[in-house]
Amino acid sequence: MIDARAWTRAALIGSLWGALELSVGSVLHLSRVPLTGMVMSAIALACLLTLRRLSPVPGVCLVAGAVALVVKVFGIGGLYPGPLIGIGAEALLVELAMTALPRGAAAAMAAGALVFLWGPVQKLAMTRIVAGQDVISAGIALGGRAITAVGLDSVGVGWVVGGAVAMLAAGGGCVGWAAWQLAGRVALRVGVEQ
Amino acid sequence: MTRRIAGVGLALAAAAALSGDLRVVAAAAVVAVLSAVVLDPPVLRSALRVAAVLTVALTAAVAGAAVALVQGPARGFVTAGGVVGRVLILWIVAGVLGRRVDADRLVEGARRLGLERLGLVLGLALNALPRLVEVSAEVWMVHRLRSPGRWQAILRAPRVAEVLLANAVRIGDDAAAAAALRGHGGLAHPRRPVLEPPAPVVVVTGAPGCGKTAAIEAAAGALRAQGRRTVGIAQPGVYSHGRKVSFLVRDLSTGDEAALAQLVDRRQGEHGTSYRFSREGFEHAARALGRAASGSVLVVDEVGPIELRGDGHMPALRRALATRGLAAVVLVVRRQLVPSLLAALVTSDVTIVDVEQDPGTAADRVLRAVEGAG
Repeated sequence: MIDARAWTRAALIGSLWGALELSVGSVLHLSRVPLTGMVMSAIALACLLTLRRLSPVPGVCLVAGAVALVVKVFGIGGLYPGPLIGIGAEALLVELAMTALPRGAAAAMAAGALVFLWGPVQKLAMTRIVAGQDVISAGIALGGRAITAVGLDSVGVGWVVGGAVAMLAAGGGCVGWAAWQLAGRVALRVGVEQ
Repeated sequence: MTRRIAGVGLALAAAAALSGDLRVVAAAAVVAVLSAVVLDPPVLRSALRVAAVLTVALTAAVAGAAVALVQGPARGFVTAGGVVGRVLILWIVAGVLGRRVDADRLVEGARRLGLERLGLVLGLALNALPRLVEVSAEVWMVHRLRSPGRWQAILRAPRVAEVLLANAVRIGDDAAAAAALRGHGGLAHPRRPVLEPPAPVVVVTGAPGCGKTAAIEAAAGALRAQGRRTVGIAQPGVYSHGRKVSFLVRDLSTGDEAALAQLVDRRQGEHGTSYRFSREGFEHAARALGRAASGSVLVVDEVGPIELRGDGHMPALRRALATRGLAAVVLVVRRQLVPSLLAALVTSDVTIVDVEQDPGTAADRVLRAVEGAG
């Protein structure tokens, strides 16, 4: 007959995620707290991975993302494209990782790494759109100078950038693993461990 | 007509904002400003607020300075001008779109696109938001009371997340249960049925501790008094200091009891619960369910998450349901699991008795439902 729980859970968890983006996200952003993006990505991972662990239905993360987007649209101060693109991309990346890989902590870690890597990619894309290619070129040139100034030019720019990406991915993987454990505790708490 | 032209102009301006040519961006910014005058003048005023102007100026200055350092001052000025133009266009587009989006339009839009379920989900999410905020405020207050220091508050953050997410899931499950009880199937997710009862089914439901077991035991007693054969199990809880510490399983035909489950530390629990289960208890239940015969009313208290995963009493219940000529089947299930149970049944002959509606008359309502089924 009927079981609507995957949809209702997506509605409520998406709503919770959107409300946290509105409240915690806005406060952290306005307070100029460092690493706000990573904190919000961790919140997104906790919400999405919990939903996916409790209701392993393909597409459920996208529904939660759509709900969070709608809640965020009604935020104070109007519609800002950056966070909206971020929410949509996070939902899509978690959905992709959890669908493509066997369900478990490894898939959650991959989802975490993808979500954490998305932050710089989005920043780069938004900078390209708003400020143009010249700023990207200038950033690369200034980055090169900074690497030389701190004496890392012998290592090679590629290795420095690769190391930073690997560290970010590792950090995201750890957060994904922690979010999967949290999802397990939530599943136990509500008595629906799948 | 003017508004339509302004709308098209704004869309074109948004596309032109991606151009690398400063003259194109400047022209697009002028078009965007004119469109905003026609479509929504307050958006233009919001773009000219001091904070917004300062933000744009700062962004443009940083971008211009970075480019000036590498490619010279002239290129820096062009970049800064481009940033001002693009941010102004994006601000106007976002403002005009944002002021036209409301909950009704979104739900209606989703329906028009054939995304009925998404429309229902958005409606549910927006309706549930006040309750979610209320629950979150309570959780936050308890967190603050229990965490006197900043570090304690940070260390306890995962626990807060766990409680918030669990509450969101429970509210979602309540909504699904309410939809199932009212027969709303708009968000239905088809599942593989696992039970094929050969007789009409009475589902007795309600929150834990509301009196489901007492109601079905009273109803079973009344059925026996009428001379009807009633078989099956009841699972009364055993309380200590107001806390449920174990479950018994009682054979409704003989009244014999056996221990079924004992509360333990969550990490030592079985089947994803905080209870350790006794094999003898399940065997006792299986013997009780094995007494099902033609003409009897089969009672199972309760069908829980373990059974719905195919474990616990489920194998014995399947064997009992294979009995030909059962008069009726009474299944007890907590409210949150009603959708799962209904999804698992291959029958539409189901009567639902919600004990919480009026606990005092619950036994009579169960009795009437069984008599109606028979």
